[in-house]
Amino acid sequence: MIVFQNVTKSFGSINALDNVSFEIKPGEFVFLTGSSGAGKTTILKMILREMLPDSGKVFFDDKNITEISNHDVPFLRQQMGIVFQDFKVLSERTISENVEVALAVSNTPQEEWSKRVNHVLKLVGLSSRAKLFPSQLSGGELQRVSLARALVINPKLILADEPTGNLDWKTAEGIMELLEKINKEGKTIIMATHHEGIIKHAKHRIINLDDGKITKVK
Amino acid sequence: MNNHTKTAIDAIKRSPFQAISAIFVLALTFFVATTVSVLVYASSKSISYFETRPQIIAFLKNDLSNETVNVLQNKLTNDIRIKDVRYVPKEEALEIYKKATEDNPLLAELVNPSIFPASLEFSVTDLKLAEDVINEVKNEAVVEQVGFTANIGGEKSLGDVVGRLKTISSYVRIGGIVFVGALGITSFLVLLIIISMRMTTRKGEIEILSLIGATPAFIRSPIIVEAVIYSLVGVFTGWTLSFILWLYVSPSILSYFGQIEVLPRDPISFFMLFVIILGVELVTGFVIALIGSLTAVKRSLKKVR
Repeated sequence: MIVFQNVTKSFGSINALDNVSFEIKPGEFVFLTGSSGAGKTTILKMILREMLPDSGKVFFDDKNITEISNHDVPFLRQQMGIVFQDFKVLSERTISENVEVALAVSNTPQEEWSKRVNHVLKLVGLSSRAKLFPSQLSGGELQRVSLARALVINPKLILADEPTGNLDWKTAEGIMELLEKINKEGKTIIMATHHEGIIKHAKHRIINLDDGKITKVK
Repeated sequence: MNNHTKTAIDAIKRSPFQAISAIFVLALTFFVATTVSVLVYASSKSISYFETRPQIIAFLKNDLSNETVNVLQNKLTNDIRIKDVRYVPKEEALEIYKKATEDNPLLAELVNPSIFPASLEFSVTDLKLAEDVINEVKNEAVVEQVGFTANIGGEKSLGDVVGRLKTISSYVRIGGIVFVGALGITSFLVLLIIISMRMTTRKGEIEILSLIGATPAFIRSPIIVEAVIYSLVGVFTGWTLSFILWLYVSPSILSYFGQIEVLPRDPISFFMLFVIILGVELVTGFVIALIGSLTAVKRSLKKVR
């Protein structure tokens, strides 16, 4: 599903990615690990086409996404669900509206919205919070909103950038349980994290990065 | 309700003072635009009145045969500078006199048709040509005297009459265009600033929308809808205020100008005039909103992406 071929990216004298190559198959759950600045987020940004490599190729579903036009970038992103460390929820919209936004963006017919939003909010355990605003929710709940928004469009791939980074261990476990559940339903998940406990506990393939290089693949 | 319209209305509700200032400036622009449009209409109607009514009367010598009068009438009719040639016999001239002096019937009783000369009344296609035509008609052997009926503001000479009409008309047009143009530019800039401010406050939201796959069209649609709402509300407000003003003053204006129909007397025609102005203003308002918001969005998205 995702293939990186000899991808290199530099920011001035700093090598964010140095000749990185790997493949992720459909239905896999892969951890991108490494210390801060190792290149985890750069990889996610390249899959999202938020960033282009200096050299090398990135494939999504056999399509070289480094070559697609800017016009096609939104349509690429609509096939992915994204979960951010800082949640990135819209503060002036209710929880259900935050989830609806993803459906509006992907041009889903409005008649389906209510059913799909209710379904994912139930899945992440936020049905009772649907009419609340983000400021009325805890960090763990906001991360579940972010996850619900990613899931509602039924994406092939979920990118999670440190989704447990701002959460306590118990809440992080709850989020991981949800991600496991989603993965078992057949979704491919790429999760950037440096949370040792989660990595050990989850037992999925790990791509470890250090100074922009892949140091180990388990 | 459309999703983009809902987002736009929510944004307006969240910043009511920005919305009020945008609508106020646009309303002022379109109030002045409507008022100036009606003034331009009135001035063109007054020019048209003087251009189309019989302006020149060639008083004929007494005891001319019908053939002699016909020769001159045909000559004038065939002149491309002249239109609406009409023969007024002595009897009709008396009737006109009687009508003009109906407040004092004694004056009419004291005269008989023989003292009124027959005449040929006609208009010129362009007032600029009047002086030449009058001079030529004066030289006709059968013509006793030539009179010019258009006379406003007490001017005696033909050049003054034409000049004054044209000057008034051009003052209204040029002054109106400059004033409305300046207000139009102000409205455009106010919209640009308000939409840019909106884009800045929505910067975080735009980044999130972009990351989850929103197309540029999806991002800018609520912003454009918001600008169009400001513009259309501004147009309606300005137009309505001007309409009320003209409804209020039109009886006095029509009475002051007498038989010169500077504004339509018929209520339906009066309303139609304003409907046409509204139609043009709606299109103009829409274009201002579209260009203003697209410019602001383009500038802001460049910064975000």
